[in-house]
Amino acid sequence: MSTPEDKKGFTFEPFSGTVEAGKIRELMRAIGDENPLYKYEEVAKEEGFAGIPISPTFIEAVDMWNGPSFEDLMDQLDIDLKKLLHGEQEYEYLAPVHAGDTLRATTRVTDVKTKRNGMALYKLETTYHNQRGEHVMNANMMLVKTP
Amino acid sequence: MKPYLLAHPETEIGTELPALVKPEVTRMQLIKFAGASGDFNPIHTVESVAQEAGLGGVIAHGMLIMGFAGQAVETWVPRAALKKFGVRFSAITRPGDSIEVRGQLSAKEETEAGTLVKIKVQAVDQKGEVKLKGTCEALLPRA
Repeated sequence: MSTPEDKKGFTFEPFSGTVEAGKIRELMRAIGDENPLYKYEEVAKEEGFAGIPISPTFIEAVDMWNGPSFEDLMDQLDIDLKKLLHGEQEYEYLAPVHAGDTLRATTRVTDVKTKRNGMALYKLETTYHNQRGEHVMNANMMLVKTP
Repeated sequence: MKPYLLAHPETEIGTELPALVKPEVTRMQLIKFAGASGDFNPIHTVESVAQEAGLGGVIAHGMLIMGFAGQAVETWVPRAALKKFGVRFSAITRPGDSIEVRGQLSAKEETEAGTLVKIKVQAVDQKGEVKLKGTCEALLPRA
């Protein structure tokens, strides 16, 4: 019988996506964050960016709009959607990401642990490189499959 | 607006930073967030699915609350200085909940590259329930 641990080391098909300025504005509007840094290039340049930067959590939109759909992802991990919880999310910012950049993302399952109560914890790590091959970000996620 | 820790470089470890108070989460906000983020898990937007899932109604995306926390972080440290930001989700948020994001300076260290600060971040609702807890790290430019 297959166990959640079998997914340890599993690597998803890499994907690429371009960061769009309109998408940054859309996410900020949904969050209710009116920071002009994400709207106006002049403001971004005053703050030392080469262009409009992405917000701390924007990379999720790159994943969701370019990577496997949520259903696909859960399918590949054998997790029933109704039993899924988002446990933890962590981002490391290594270099700026701006509107117009094209990122290539690779996601790997770095660890899986099943608890005694049947709960399974999946750790996923995604690395992001830009169009110049620079390693710009890492995302670490923990997904929880409830029994 | 200058981020708090740049405007107040003398802030000591243990100090509570100004909290960010968000307006009530609405169903429309969850719909907008689904479209913007691309997370279309229907438990966030479709009442019947959320009921079937045993949630008693739609619940907010955890990443929306992390987005609120990110907005708060931007008021404390410059975006360009942010190095790390991580949270653990501990409770669900429903439409009608009001989230407040609190921060506390937990570490401060002078390095060659600048001042490395760590901030403990927490998002709580109107009843004081903690929705997420986390930390962020930033390397502040030398004044």
